[in-house]
Amino acid sequence: MLFNSPVFLFAFLPLATAIFYWFGRRSVSRALAALIVASLLFYGWWRPLNLLLIAPSIALNYAIARALIARAEDNSRSSKLLFWFGIAFNICFLAYFKYTDFLATLANDVAGTGFSLQHIVLPLGISFITFQKIALLIDARAGRITRIGLRDYVLFVLFFPPLISGPIVHYRELMPQFERLDGRMHWQDMTVGATLFFMGLGKKLLLADPIALHINPIWDMTAAGQAPSLIYAWSAVLGFVVQLYFDFSGYSDMAIGLARLFGIRLPHNFNSPLRAMSIIDYWARWHVTLTRFLTAYLFSPISLALTRARLARGQQVVSGRRTKLPTFLILVAMPTMLTMLISGIWHGAGYQFVLFGALHGMALIINHAWRTWKPKPPKGAPKTSPAARWLFLSWLVTIGFAVLAKVFFRAADIHSALLMIKALIGGGGLALPQALGALASSVLGWNVVASSGGTTDFLHMIGLVALAWTIALVMPNSHEMLAAYEPALDFQPIAGRRKIELCWRPGRRWAIAMAALALLGLMSLGQVSAFLYWKF
Amino acid sequence: MRAALAVSNVAFTQAPGGNVTSEEILAKLNELFRDLFDDPALTVDPETTADDVEEWDSVSHISMIVAVEQMFGVKIKTAEIESLKNVGDLVRIVADKLN
Repeated sequence: MLFNSPVFLFAFLPLATAIFYWFGRRSVSRALAALIVASLLFYGWWRPLNLLLIAPSIALNYAIARALIARAEDNSRSSKLLFWFGIAFNICFLAYFKYTDFLATLANDVAGTGFSLQHIVLPLGISFITFQKIALLIDARAGRITRIGLRDYVLFVLFFPPLISGPIVHYRELMPQFERLDGRMHWQDMTVGATLFFMGLGKKLLLADPIALHINPIWDMTAAGQAPSLIYAWSAVLGFVVQLYFDFSGYSDMAIGLARLFGIRLPHNFNSPLRAMSIIDYWARWHVTLTRFLTAYLFSPISLALTRARLARGQQVVSGRRTKLPTFLILVAMPTMLTMLISGIWHGAGYQFVLFGALHGMALIINHAWRTWKPKPPKGAPKTSPAARWLFLSWLVTIGFAVLAKVFFRAADIHSALLMIKALIGGGGLALPQALGALASSVLGWNVVASSGGTTDFLHMIGLVALAWTIALVMPNSHEMLAAYEPALDFQPIAGRRKIELCWRPGRRWAIAMAALALLGLMSLGQVSAFLYWKF
Repeated sequence: MRAALAVSNVAFTQAPGGNVTSEEILAKLNELFRDLFDDPALTVDPETTADDVEEWDSVSHISMIVAVEQMFGVKIKTAEIESLKNVGDLVRIVADKLN
């Protein structure tokens, strides 16, 4: 069930909320059971078979988690084996559905084998569900979970707001909150939840979807091997970056808002990434829960193990400016690249996603190298904040790179990604709609080819993309607006940034504004479109 | 993270029978942070998080953990590293291990 579908908005959500609180008045435990039933319905709606596919995996994971909790702090061989079996099972489960075809293609391309592609249908949200299960096994092994019941485990895995595309939440973050619920409806949860939900719906339906409508044909044309002309290419690329941002941050707002309707806070997922001043900063603000998952369970353990191993052998470890190049390569560059390659391949099974991960890995390594060896002011010099032009340059390099890397994320394959990049530097010529082309040639003397699109459409597209970028760069983000009501776990507004003050507070003015936003959103429900991250 | 924040607001008390106080650990950590981030003016308190120190990222986090292990002669588990929310958590983990 899509969050932006009529059946979800007008039937499922009102009913699920009403039944939850109706039971809640009698017993919290019955309310939670109702929530599980609702979540099963939500998950199975599109394809009931999905339920049968994930049920055995849930059962096995639960059994392993229980066994690990019973053996907490036990370092015996069998307990290690059980843990690694659980991790391997989850990775294989994901790999079978997601990567069978990619591995076959890889083998066919590299070794010339003739495997046929299976075109396996992905169970909805499997990439996200798998990560949550892996995190739970790690927590169980580490002794951070002391007890677990079947109902709690099922609730953790199936709780419908973050089920399909996150935010990736930990058991230890979610369960204490369920235990604290009193089953009563609190006005703050309802208003903050609904506000966040409709802000997200607005991002999706009023910005992301209309932009997609304009730029998808340009990407399709590129996939078919035809380079778009200059302005169309830039609109497609800049447009996709804001489309993805408003689509996924809109989805995240909706998920966080929905959870809040049931009195639950989820971790935040976005914090104005397009305003980042470095690529390290960018990943701390874009898909935050994925970054923290990969950092905690991949980067840190690898880097830490390597650092300790080097210390034990008396070799150099990372030590500020004195760090030598081999030390940096082994302890920083290698774990970073590995993490980003896995992040790339997690996003999608295709060469272009491997390249997307590799590009971001390179950028992060350069960023870390700069932090390690950059020229420092002499000791004792007064601390000055960087000049505005340096800040602007930092932003331009960061976002310029992020925009270019997104070409590989969006393009159908590497070939069309390169074609699009060529078009960005004029490879597809300069064409404008007829009326504008005539204007440009008479006023500026340009020789412009007429493009097939209409003038109104063209101006509409450019206006929308410019509007979306302006909102992303200038306006406070949804969590900043709601900051006084703790909309999400671990959210901290970025300090020291001059910005427009726009704080949500309960009252008539905001109620009217949000009702207008909700109405505008509902009026554009016409063509229901899936969220971009639902396919991952 | 209301629960975690609430815990970190509690004033530090001397560990029972302990010989190293939280204040001493914090003072040592301040030296370590100044050296690590190459900033003699840097001061951290129990509330300081990675967001407050510009260059405290995933790479310097690992260097910091290893430096803490060496300074205090303790070993910090991977699970403990992930649960660190602020300097106060780090002080507590070190204090637990020393006392």
